[in-house]
Amino acid sequence: MDYFIIDYNVEGQNTLALEDSIMQKGRPITAGSKMLDNFIAPINATVVDKLSNEYKIAGKTVMDEFGIPSFFSGESDEISGAIKAVVDNAVSFSLCNDVFGKYRKQAADNKLCYIHPTYGTVSRYGLVPVASSMDQIGIVCKDMREGFKLLSLIAGNDEKDGAMFSEKSYSYDNNEQDLTLAIPDSVIRMADKNVQDAIGDFAKNFKTTSLDLEHFNVYKQVMYILSCAEISNNISRYDGVNFGYRTSNYTNIDELYTNSRTEGFGYHAKLTAIMGTMVLTENNYKTYYDKAMKLRRLIKDGVSFEGYDIIVLPCDIGKDPYDNLSLYSLANLAGLPSVSFSYKGQGIQLIANVRKESSLLTAWEVCMK
Amino acid sequence: MKYEVVMGLEVHVELSTNSKLFCACSSKFGAEPNENVCPACLGMPGMPAVTNKRAIELGIAAGLVTNSEITKTISFDKKNYFYPDLPTGYQVTQLFAPICKNGWVEIETEKGKKKITLSQIHIEADAGKLVHDNRTDTSLIDYNRASVPLIEIVSNPDFRSAEEVVAYLEKLRQLLSFANVSDCKMQEGSMRCDVNISVMEKGATEYGVRTEIKNMNSLKAIAAAINYEAQRQIDALETASEELVQETRRWDDSKGQTFSMRQKEDATDYRYFPNTELMPISIEDKWIEEVRANLPEAAHDRFLRLTEKLGLSEYDSNIITGSKNLSDIFDKTMEYFSKPKEVANWIIVELLSIAKGDNKGEDDVKIDCKKFAKLMELVDSKVINRNVGKDLLSLVLTEDIDPEKYVEENKLGMISDTDMIDKVVQEVLVEFSKSVEEYKEGNQKVFGFLVGQTMRKLGGKANPQLINSLLKKHLS
Amino acid sequence: MIDINRYQSMAKLSLSESERARISDHADILVKSFDELEKINVDNASPLISVLNESNILREDIPRKFTTREELLSYAPEQSDGYFQVPKTID
Repeated sequence: MDYFIIDYNVEGQNTLALEDSIMQKGRPITAGSKMLDNFIAPINATVVDKLSNEYKIAGKTVMDEFGIPSFFSGESDEISGAIKAVVDNAVSFSLCNDVFGKYRKQAADNKLCYIHPTYGTVSRYGLVPVASSMDQIGIVCKDMREGFKLLSLIAGNDEKDGAMFSEKSYSYDNNEQDLTLAIPDSVIRMADKNVQDAIGDFAKNFKTTSLDLEHFNVYKQVMYILSCAEISNNISRYDGVNFGYRTSNYTNIDELYTNSRTEGFGYHAKLTAIMGTMVLTENNYKTYYDKAMKLRRLIKDGVSFEGYDIIVLPCDIGKDPYDNLSLYSLANLAGLPSVSFSYKGQGIQLIANVRKESSLLTAWEVCMK
Repeated sequence: MKYEVVMGLEVHVELSTNSKLFCACSSKFGAEPNENVCPACLGMPGMPAVTNKRAIELGIAAGLVTNSEITKTISFDKKNYFYPDLPTGYQVTQLFAPICKNGWVEIETEKGKKKITLSQIHIEADAGKLVHDNRTDTSLIDYNRASVPLIEIVSNPDFRSAEEVVAYLEKLRQLLSFANVSDCKMQEGSMRCDVNISVMEKGATEYGVRTEIKNMNSLKAIAAAINYEAQRQIDALETASEELVQETRRWDDSKGQTFSMRQKEDATDYRYFPNTELMPISIEDKWIEEVRANLPEAAHDRFLRLTEKLGLSEYDSNIITGSKNLSDIFDKTMEYFSKPKEVANWIIVELLSIAKGDNKGEDDVKIDCKKFAKLMELVDSKVINRNVGKDLLSLVLTEDIDPEKYVEENKLGMISDTDMIDKVVQEVLVEFSKSVEEYKEGNQKVFGFLVGQTMRKLGGKANPQLINSLLKKHLS
Repeated sequence: MIDINRYQSMAKLSLSESERARISDHADILVKSFDELEKINVDNASPLISVLNESNILREDIPRKFTTREELLSYAPEQSDGYFQVPKTID
């Protein structure tokens, strides 16, 4: 499978790939969708501006349409372009937007690392938006240290993005502190025995404490409801009117809209649009969307980080991608930084408090010794 | 009158910012189509919205001049629907936390004073503009207006007549234009009004079926639309000629009627939800006080100052404070020439009539006030006569001449040489001896003619009082 | 069973028979999973709209021209005389 949708034929050290949702001015960008066929990016993403002195961009990678994976079993789960490009050593890094955890999981599965930064620390200017309250550009890398080095280059306040912390720059040094690891036992027990053992071994490097993730059983539902609503709204701009794909089959405005969107969107985008529409209707708003927002509050408040620095979670608890979504929801719902990697052959993810990425690097370095 | 007309108004007002609400495109009126657009206001992905600070300040100002409660923490929401003038498929507005609540505006009609209460004021982004091309059966879209900041002022159903509605709109216009919130020009679309109207039998406790009427582009059209629709509803109730349904109707000015707009399926489920791209805005008292301190003087306060402090007549003061532009011209000119009655006179009598000839109204006329003041001074100190002054005013307006220099260069100084004037008066009396006879026979009007002829011979520059007195002397 | 006709119309989509069947199945699974939410009392929680605790991120009112009209009009599927063009839309 070709991981590059565009290959710039660049080689050497310090090369990276961009998921095709990150803009380079004057170059085509699709976000994996036919709706953006022939769309030329009018701006350079801020992250591209920030890294172009030190890194070369080798290409744009194939991605799910608007980053929406399949949540249902029995559907193929191909390796993402951004992951494969690093696995194959075509590039040293990839930049992606990991809303649903697909990159975190596949990185760990393929013995790579993924860094998912704190929401609001990396500019989304030039990123095709997916779920606005969760979008965050992260890094696929082989070595966590190198990944954090790249992150420190691209993170920092951008006045062109209206939802960021004011911090102008971040450094992610190993803070060498004594970390306490929180272990959500009931979640760990859902994973394979091998994973449980690996996490047990990992935990031996730290002081530990038990953690009850009280609403874990509704993480995926809350995540789905909020994200499908935001995505369906962010894709309503793709209407065939003033840019992007327009159907050739229309005699009136309604046909222009409907046929452009029906021909231009793939199945998962359509499913998301339908579900997103549904949860926001007047009749459903209180039951679904409003409730999900309130649960998001409870979920975020439920991880106080008092008495512990990092939470450890498995990368896989079942065959069903929808079930696995639960594992990746906490970081996105609460805006927390997270890393995933392979430890003793098993995928592990760590979550830290807001802007405490250094703890994640420290933890990784401790167990990689 | 068996029926009472009940109305509530939704007034959309464009805020006088320099740039748009969520992007830095210019928001100035009158540009070529699609000249003021960027990827953000065209709905393209990748450019996040960042809120215009001045738009919030003008929202606060609007709240202050309408006696509203200013909400402490405001946020924005998304209203979802598809229409070609809406590039993102949603409008950013405020449903859950509008910037102002519970204000009121006092109006005055023939029936006296009345308080119109407001439900709320909220900030929202405007949409683009559609123009229909009948030749090609297409619609053409100009996105210059997309994302221009608006406030929507929602009144309670307090109106009982078209007169009240017109008085309210005029009052709103005065309040908002003097506060620099908006120029409120209906003809440019910076103030638009939709009317919710129903009728009910006097004394009834329940409101009747209401319709919303749109597409009135002037105060005259609004009054006509209200009167038509009220009558249509009354006729429907009296004669059962049609059933009244809650709907939106469009006013057709050329036909003088309202027409039902096509019913849209699911038209009203806008799936409102909070805008997660924009952070909330907290409006502390300190900010409110800053805005209040920077508010230009209100029209009413100016009126009092002009009448009580400067001794102008109510009539003159009403005209001057009827327009912020005119009022500013008055105050600015007074800085250089501080005789209020003269300044008022020059503005009301001379400036406005010249501007009218140029198709400019009190809101558009632009003049260099320092030069204007200089002109008044030259006439006041009898350097030039008033007619010359009027001519020069035209030139100041159109060519921005320097009056003092111009007078010198063109030797327009007033002739006050009695001997010279006397000589010319005598010439005129000889040349127009017939008219002199008519005057002696009792025709008073001829006097003016003779004055005019004398002035003409003196190149229009003579002191008119001297001509008068010398003519009288010779004719008696 | 969700009202796919109503939602597809609101989302300006026209699903094929097979898409409709597939979406119906998947929607059922998802909606059924949402039942779990009913069991939780959220009366004491306020909605979390953004995880960022920042406020008053505002921009000074300075206009800036992005690029030429021609460049942006070049994105239009149909244009005419400086306007973006669609079939006649009256409402």
